[in-house]
Amino acid sequence: MATVKAIIPQQAKSKYLRACLLCSLIQMPMDFRKVGCPNCEEIMQMKGSPDRIAVCTTTYFDGIVAVIDPESSWVARWQRTSKYVRGMYAVRVKGRVPEDVEAELESRGIKYRPRDQTDQD
Amino acid sequence: MDIDDDYAMQEQESDPVQPENYEEEEVEQTRSEPKAGKVRGSIYDPLDDDDDEDEEEEEEEEDHRGRKRAKHRHRRNAVNRFLDVEAEVDTEEEDEEEEDDAGGDEFIAEPGFEGDEEDVNRRAAVNARLDRRERELNDQDLAKIAQNLHERYRSAGVRYTGDMNEVPQRLLMPSVHDASLWQVRVKPGRERDIVFSLMRKATDLEYTTQPISILSAFERDSLPGMIYVEARSAQQVNQACKGLVGVYPSRGVTLVPIEEMASLLQIKKQDLTVTPGTWVRVKRGKYQGDLAQVMDITENGEDVGLKFIPRIDLNPRDDASVDGRKRKKATAGVPTMRPPQRFFNYEEVVKVYGRKQVSKRNQVYVFQNDTYKDGFIEKDFKLSALQLDDVNPTLDEITRFTRGQDGAENENPVDLSIIAEASRKAAISVLQPGDHVEVFEGEQAGVHGVVDSINQDVVTVTAIGVDLEGQKVDVPARSVRKRFKPGDHVKVMTGQNADETGLVVSVSDNVITFLSDMSMQEVSVFSKDLREAAEVGSGTNIVGNYELHDLVQLDLQTVGVIFKTERDSFRVLDQNGQVRLVQPHQISMRRDSNRAIATDSEGHELRVNDNVREIDGETRKGRVLHIHQSFFAFLHNRDVPENGGVFVTRARSLASLAPKGNLVKPGTDLGKMNPHVAGGATTGGMVGSAMARGPRDRDIGALVTVVKGPQKGYVGIIKDTNGNLARVELHTGNKVITIDKQKLCRRLPDGTLLPLNKPYNPNVGQGGFKTPGAPARTPNPYAQATGGRTPGFTGGRTPNPYVNGDGRTPASKTPNPFGGDSGKTPAWNPSSRTPAWNASSRTPNPYQDGGKTPAWNASSRTPNPYANNGSPSWGNDGGRTPGSGYGRGWGSPSDNNTWGNSPARPADASYSSWSAPTPAAAPTPFSAPTPAASYSSAATPRTMGSAGFMHSAPTPGVSTADEDDSTPTWLLDPVFQNKKVLVEITSTLGTWHGGELNGAKGFVTSVFRTPGDTLIAIEHIDPGRAGTTVDVPINYLSPVRPEQVGDHALVLEGTDRGIEVILSQQVASEIWQVSKSLDSDMITCLETAMVKLHVK
Repeated sequence: MATVKAIIPQQAKSKYLRACLLCSLIQMPMDFRKVGCPNCEEIMQMKGSPDRIAVCTTTYFDGIVAVIDPESSWVARWQRTSKYVRGMYAVRVKGRVPEDVEAELESRGIKYRPRDQTDQD
Repeated sequence: MDIDDDYAMQEQESDPVQPENYEEEEVEQTRSEPKAGKVRGSIYDPLDDDDDEDEEEEEEEEDHRGRKRAKHRHRRNAVNRFLDVEAEVDTEEEDEEEEDDAGGDEFIAEPGFEGDEEDVNRRAAVNARLDRRERELNDQDLAKIAQNLHERYRSAGVRYTGDMNEVPQRLLMPSVHDASLWQVRVKPGRERDIVFSLMRKATDLEYTTQPISILSAFERDSLPGMIYVEARSAQQVNQACKGLVGVYPSRGVTLVPIEEMASLLQIKKQDLTVTPGTWVRVKRGKYQGDLAQVMDITENGEDVGLKFIPRIDLNPRDDASVDGRKRKKATAGVPTMRPPQRFFNYEEVVKVYGRKQVSKRNQVYVFQNDTYKDGFIEKDFKLSALQLDDVNPTLDEITRFTRGQDGAENENPVDLSIIAEASRKAAISVLQPGDHVEVFEGEQAGVHGVVDSINQDVVTVTAIGVDLEGQKVDVPARSVRKRFKPGDHVKVMTGQNADETGLVVSVSDNVITFLSDMSMQEVSVFSKDLREAAEVGSGTNIVGNYELHDLVQLDLQTVGVIFKTERDSFRVLDQNGQVRLVQPHQISMRRDSNRAIATDSEGHELRVNDNVREIDGETRKGRVLHIHQSFFAFLHNRDVPENGGVFVTRARSLASLAPKGNLVKPGTDLGKMNPHVAGGATTGGMVGSAMARGPRDRDIGALVTVVKGPQKGYVGIIKDTNGNLARVELHTGNKVITIDKQKLCRRLPDGTLLPLNKPYNPNVGQGGFKTPGAPARTPNPYAQATGGRTPGFTGGRTPNPYVNGDGRTPASKTPNPFGGDSGKTPAWNPSSRTPAWNASSRTPNPYQDGGKTPAWNASSRTPNPYANNGSPSWGNDGGRTPGSGYGRGWGSPSDNNTWGNSPARPADASYSSWSAPTPAAAPTPFSAPTPAASYSSAATPRTMGSAGFMHSAPTPGVSTADEDDSTPTWLLDPVFQNKKVLVEITSTLGTWHGGELNGAKGFVTSVFRTPGDTLIAIEHIDPGRAGTTVDVPINYLSPVRPEQVGDHALVLEGTDRGIEVILSQQVASEIWQVSKSLDSDMITCLETAMVKLHVK
């Protein structure tokens, strides 16, 4: 997986940074539009669709992790991003994925874990 | 069907039917192998990857139909595959049916068939294929596998699997095998940048010889000034951070203990949910701090629609709304005060901004891109720009909100539950054992009782009531509230109504309304803020910065004393006796009258806290609270019912209850009373005002230099003082600053600095008395007298001091009789033995100075004769009868006056002042203003002699009148007192009472002598003013002459001085034969030597 990586936003300060609600990856909205979310594009379908990006990502997140080596990083494992591409991830993302995505996840038998650290087990 | 069967069927298909395809089938299986391996355990494996299927499809173009069908099952785009499961199943079923119809290839269809039925079965099918593939693995062409792998990973779109979501978080806790977290100090505010930099650095150096070997790095918003780096060693961290700006590895790279690692990522801000109706506050911008109500929230919770009271600038800068460019400029400048909260009013806004600026759509106005509805502005805000916690809306704010634009009560009543909720937390802390509470929620709802004990959040309540009587119940503190019932007497403990007390009139949940004891108004407060209390609170006497009985400045002309404080206002009695209700903001300042002094009716000094009594009117007694301008005295007496016992009166109508010592205390340094000697406050006003310094500070007007603080070195003039503070108008920048007097130094004309608290004599700077031997520089030799030398002696050295002096004073321009005459008289000879010489020579001279000559006021160049006060020679004069001095000096002409009164009498001086025909009144010296002034003041020495002090010397104002020679100084003589002498107010020249009383006549009722001023109280006889009294400075009075037979008069001169006569016959012009009223003796008298008496 290390060969694939997300587009690293050029400006850390930008208030336009958005985090994917499903995998918490942080990109600029423009990058989401261009390439979608490298981790969950398949299910989120954000590529080329600003509307989708608006509902599937958020600016309301807290804490940023630079995941450099996802496979071996404990931080990535803890954040459940170790199977994802390397890139910038939010520690905590407020909000839930849209209902259709949630339903789809459910139909696939995937447990949806919101990224807002509300459920601890 | 079980796995083996499945496998067997596949085998069957490939082997007997199409052996030539076997190899191909093998390849296909191996292709799917890595995929299966990768996502092992996922039930979706068989449905993976379109590309694989496409390739297979191409390879198997010639393949049989059933096989194509099987492929078809997979051919779907990524979306539909996952979104459209049911449809897929249907298709498969169709496929199966078709296949069944065809009667072949069941084994291919089988797995799909299974999948339709149950996921478990599908998984079983997967496993079957997997097993087969594993068995065949040895036969695989490894190169091919690698190639396939490569192709797979190049393909776009990685399936989302949520692979780790099933794992409970606790199983993810770090272990000793994981890399460690290292805390690195960074520049606060740069955390994000540095984390991003680390990421980029890692990417850039990835394929270099020195790649960065850290695993991750993160920052938390709640942990400013630090980032955390995951690495195997601190050295790796240092290597990674090397060269990054804003990282401080020197401050230590600290290992985070393994048990704390997880919590770093678990830090969670208090999650604040926003729902419509929530109260929030705006964090930034024009509406900073304003309360707003949430109307709606966008789906992702980022934007919040708010409704709040707008702040529209109804006084925009000129052109601001017209010209965009200018507006930009205006806003770029100094930020103006933000407009007050005000409901949107269409008319108002249109009036200011013009009709074009406001448009109306439906019920909504649009103005400057904002929408306004019902007076509120409705605007979207980012959630991050809002303050969600500690909103604590006040009752006032919410009432204002709900009341709406027109002030009318809205449909929906105030929803206090929101604030109640917010304040409930605080309520816990105010509970105390013994409080009467009720449980309002939970199982015990409705129970009420007395708090027995409080243990953190649990309150033990001894219940009161039917079945629970006496039982102790534990309830959460947040579920109880204080209980009050109508009729309880309560006291407000906190909030803006604090200390109010009153009787509860109604209880509505936790809002209690009570009738205030103080204001008799209904006040609504939360029960948490209340306690039962028996006391009746009068509140505090302090509102704002002001306190009961403070002297406060209301406006430029008005001061008053607070005699009653109310909740947020005062009752103030002003100096005119009017009662005003003022708010604290209407008071411009508090006045300090601690050092103010006034003069009471007996000429005694009156100070704050003296106990006094009115001498007229109601003869009220009281303690002096404040003195204003040495004239008004505010008194306080608890026995006076009205105005809280405070009343205002004139200082001159007061008499001290405690007798005071003689006015001139022994040892009083008279020099200090002299404004010229004492200080620089010579900017005008009466001498008396400077002497009884009162509210005026003698430092006012002084040229000072700031010696400390940021303004150090600046030069300015003290404009005002208040206690220890001075307001200084700086020369530079025309700025007035308020500064501690300690930081100021008086700046002398020669540039040297003198601390303000040191007495300053302007003459000192000029070296006046330092050079006694240089009379040319000293305008008047008397100035040197401060040196302890009498002028007389000085005169010995300066042959003719007056010539010198005159040469400098403006007075010299007028013929100075003394300069000429005395220069020739032997009296001027230093060897003169005439004891009177001093007196006579002195007398004219002071008034050259003290007269209206500019020298008196402006340039202190002309030293004041009173500088001599301390000198022994002055004492001699005082002890002497100055009149006799006059007798010598001027006696000879009056010896042969026509009316033949004995000129040697001490009264001669004043006598001659009235004698126009006498040579003394000859035009030459006396008609000239200055000499006239000096002449009129000839009476002064006599006055001094009789009164025993010198302060009755006419003030400079005396000389402003041309008729000064008529100033009835004789009024001060006891023989003329209580005689109802008729006088006329003249010569005010508009300077006193605006000249309004010029010409008014009245009779003297009493005479006040004060230091520096002599006031005569006269009662008007003119119609219109009759019966009223007025205090008139003596120099504005002239005697009224008797003019017809039968007039009663007093003789002013001669042996019969002070005797009452009646005019009987006019002998000649201005000469009357009069009869004494006592013994009817007839004498002849000059008209000008008499004064008319008031006869009822």
